[in-house]
Amino acid sequence: MRNIFTTTILLLVHTSFIWSESKIDKTYYVYVAAESDDTVDLVRFGPNGGELVKRIPVGIFPNEIEGPHGVKVAPGGQYWFVSIAHGMPYGHVFKYTTGDDLPIADCQAGLFPATMDISPATGFLFVGNFNLHGDMEPSNVSVIDSVSMTEIAQIGQGIMPHGQRISPDGKFVYSVAMMGDELYEIDALKLKVNRKLKLTKTNSSTHGKMAVTKPTWAEPHPIKPLVYVALQGINQVAEVDLVDWKIVRRFHTNKGPYNIAVSPDGKTLVVTEKSNSSTGFWDLDSGKERASVACSNKITHGVTITPDSRFAFITVEGVGGEPGLVEVYDLESLERKAVVEVGKQASGIDFWKAEP
Amino acid sequence: MAIINWLLTHLSRIWSVHRNRSCSRRTHSNNLMWARFFQHHASRTLFATVFLSTVTFAQDITLHVTPQSLELKVGDSAQLDAIVQDSAGLNIEAIVIYFSQSPTAVSVTPSGLVQAHRSGQHTLVALIPAKPQGGLEVVGDPGIRVEIPVIIAPSDLARLEIEIPEEIYIGTRVAVRVRATDINNEEKDVRPALSVSDPGIASVIAYGPLFEGTFHAHPFYDRPRPDLYPGDAAGLLTALAPGTVTIQASTNELTAERTIKVNHNPVQSLSLHASSEIARTGDVILFSAKGIDSREKKVKDLPVTFALESHPDPSRFDTVGAGAPAQILPDGRFVAEQAGVYTALALSGKAIAKKSILITPRDVHQDIELLGQAPVRDRVTSDLWVWEGLDGRDYAVVGTWNADGHALFFDVTEPDNMRRISEVQVDARTINDVKISEDKRIAVITREGASDRRNGLVIVDVSDPRRPKILSRFDEQLTGGVHNVFIYENHVYAINNGRRWDVINIEDPTKPFRVSRFEDKAPGRSVHDVWLRDGIAFQAGNTDGLVVIDVGGGGIGGSPAHPVEIGRLQNLTGWNHAVWPFRSKSTGKFYVVVGDESHPNNLRVPGPIIAWEERMTSRAMGWIHVIDFDDPASPKEVARYRVPEAGPHNLWIDWEKEIMYVAYFNAGLRVVDLSGELLGDLYRQGREIAKFYSDDTQGFIPNSPFAWGPQPHKGTIFFSDFNSGLWAVRLVPRKPEAKESQ
Repeated sequence: MRNIFTTTILLLVHTSFIWSESKIDKTYYVYVAAESDDTVDLVRFGPNGGELVKRIPVGIFPNEIEGPHGVKVAPGGQYWFVSIAHGMPYGHVFKYTTGDDLPIADCQAGLFPATMDISPATGFLFVGNFNLHGDMEPSNVSVIDSVSMTEIAQIGQGIMPHGQRISPDGKFVYSVAMMGDELYEIDALKLKVNRKLKLTKTNSSTHGKMAVTKPTWAEPHPIKPLVYVALQGINQVAEVDLVDWKIVRRFHTNKGPYNIAVSPDGKTLVVTEKSNSSTGFWDLDSGKERASVACSNKITHGVTITPDSRFAFITVEGVGGEPGLVEVYDLESLERKAVVEVGKQASGIDFWKAEP
Repeated sequence: MAIINWLLTHLSRIWSVHRNRSCSRRTHSNNLMWARFFQHHASRTLFATVFLSTVTFAQDITLHVTPQSLELKVGDSAQLDAIVQDSAGLNIEAIVIYFSQSPTAVSVTPSGLVQAHRSGQHTLVALIPAKPQGGLEVVGDPGIRVEIPVIIAPSDLARLEIEIPEEIYIGTRVAVRVRATDINNEEKDVRPALSVSDPGIASVIAYGPLFEGTFHAHPFYDRPRPDLYPGDAAGLLTALAPGTVTIQASTNELTAERTIKVNHNPVQSLSLHASSEIARTGDVILFSAKGIDSREKKVKDLPVTFALESHPDPSRFDTVGAGAPAQILPDGRFVAEQAGVYTALALSGKAIAKKSILITPRDVHQDIELLGQAPVRDRVTSDLWVWEGLDGRDYAVVGTWNADGHALFFDVTEPDNMRRISEVQVDARTINDVKISEDKRIAVITREGASDRRNGLVIVDVSDPRRPKILSRFDEQLTGGVHNVFIYENHVYAINNGRRWDVINIEDPTKPFRVSRFEDKAPGRSVHDVWLRDGIAFQAGNTDGLVVIDVGGGGIGGSPAHPVEIGRLQNLTGWNHAVWPFRSKSTGKFYVVVGDESHPNNLRVPGPIIAWEERMTSRAMGWIHVIDFDDPASPKEVARYRVPEAGPHNLWIDWEKEIMYVAYFNAGLRVVDLSGELLGDLYRQGREIAKFYSDDTQGFIPNSPFAWGPQPHKGTIFFSDFNSGLWAVRLVPRKPEAKESQ
């Protein structure tokens, strides 16, 4: 009897624990760029599910699609930034206030500015000028002072820089050259390349045609001296040790690993598998894939994880006239908790805030 | 709660005052930042109160930079020094980053060495990076910032020269030009003070600051005005009495002098001739004056000033309060916007001549009638092309915009019964442009918004427009998107991501290949559209105006594989979008007509509404520029056609009829008379033949004309409208005026 009682109590406690763990007690907000609708959409997810809060038109020409690609919320959440990829010919980065979503400044960047991240140490935005104009030629990363919104430097990079992410201390930028098979480490204070790592053993062409690994993203670990690099061309995510500056583990993903994020607690790696229209979830301690979940539509793209490491928000582009999607996954159960329709070709995504 | 709000607000204000001082004090992770964070996020709760009461201030750090400001000249350098102190005033080690907010004007090295490159007021920044705390980050500008204002004076002028004729006649007036060059032998724009040594012999007036200021060419792409305006002058000099006089031009740095001789004016009389004594509004009349001396001989090199006395027809209501009804240029060319009697005056010294002419209304209006509409209402439509198919029937293809990649085909043989017959779908969101080859077999459609981001173009067999077949796609190095194309003699000229155009051989349309590309290598150059005629490519380049390129017909060695620039005209409005060449049959002159596209009234302002999705009417701005391109080395903008409160998009010019068709966005379709010499404001001259508003009560945006592109074909004017699909209209022939019976 005592055992039954104890078991019952334990079960109740356990159930209660699970219930409290899975209970959604906050409302999370993310900004999402819709590349083929020229909007940045604000999405929230909370106890009542997910919903589109509003759509913010961006760009300056109503009759041209200007291609917002990257979106980044400033540390502290006071501003958000969006890269407008198409330009005349140079693209721009616009600065908006969060909440009221008013544009307050803009800055010209380089050719086809795409992904970006902001240093909490300096407020410098590092924007990869992806140069989708077709030339397999080295491009650069624009450094934009986010306070004055002026481009203060361009740091030379390989072909098609993409996936810029900054170390937690704000002192280093990790960036890949997609068609150069290279990982770059940029000194975010000296504004110059510290070192670069060839990501393939073969001597891939500097003209890009022979790129093998086609890296698309570089995500520093929030705690350990590691960087995760999505190798789209060989369906892997490489774990790079920053001390030894070499690949120490490889995660074999589904086709087309594209954007990646590591949960702030350092436990989970989330990988959008673009060509497979799925999202992979990996346990970083064991190095094993927990699941790869098919998404609701074609072409998964961006990912952001809430600061409490509970939820991952994934963008799904769609094709043609289809709307883009934001999918919300519970990182514990890996259940898809919500799907929210946003603008066409949903791409860059970033977490803004959580409200009780 | 109100107290907390007040506290939060004032803490934030205090904080903002501290920012951006030459000596900036900033506390890492201090309470003020956290207070602002919570204020911004509207988390003004009890939690905020508890939070404020439990966090202690961290150590203050102060950054001093010397000098606090800089005044330099172009080419100068200076050194910045930074001292970092703790709250006790003790110097401490810290990383200080220097950067410039305008690096091309003033640069600074990591060690603080400043170099002045361009004049103006600029800002350098010294920054101590913050130490991120992780989790909830501070709000506001990261780190400690000190701004150092820098004023850079222009480089020293090395040379100042006055340009003026050596001898002039009493009573005449000439322009005084002053040319300034700096130590690098670069010409500089100066507005010198002008004076004369003897005001009894000549008087002078300087333009001074009249031309100062900024070009507001585009609401987002303001450009400083060009350093030098071709042909502009520093001032005007009037000769008053015989003798020699010295003109002096002075800037802050230099003074130049020039002595000229003022002679007796030999002119005894002036005669004035008009190329026509009766004309219509918009017709250009040339007045020519001739001075005769006491020996009845013509005086050579005689400066003549023209003036105008206007008497617009008071019986016409459109003359009332209409402002200046005509103009006469210094070279004697006259054009009127209003009917009436005009008297030109020629003055040279004491000699005056007058000549009156009669201007009648241009009277080119024609009625326009709707023949038919092939509505497209479930999506917005883009450009069109109309052609006679191989079967002798007439067809049109229309692109669609920001939808799901369709090009739509219509049988338009009967314009009052146009029928949609087929469609092609490709992986794209926008088919912005469509073109048909000269042999009527090939369509080229552009792709933007492809799901694999390999945009490029698609080649379609339209031998049977009822069954269009995709033959090939070409996206190699066209991945960023093709916005416009033109097909000319088995080559596709494809605008490549607004940066250049690529020439693609389509002799075998299943195997297209690139043969060349044309790109202005100057950084930042852009291109929006290209149109070809007679082996010459005409390029409209957004902020960069017009460029004309020989690709085989220009006679300077160009070919599709080797494009060679013929000439260019930049510094137009900065909105240049579409371009059409025009050889004027009636004058023999060669014009290039450039259309703007601008939407300053429909900027994507934030809010819950998205203009086109939420069915809001758009209102464009801009106008049509007419460029005299007779001299490719010196093209000149001579006329404009501007519909007030609207803006143009694509256009088409019928060389034979000398008529321009303009899809004028929210002003609908406009038909314009381009006959004769073109000078001045063609709209106000009454050259508009007809207009048609494409209202559609069921349009994508109802009753909101947004004409996109026109094309005349076999007497019918077809045009696409963004909101309502394909339209067909016709100019109604004017009836002969009935003669009054006796």
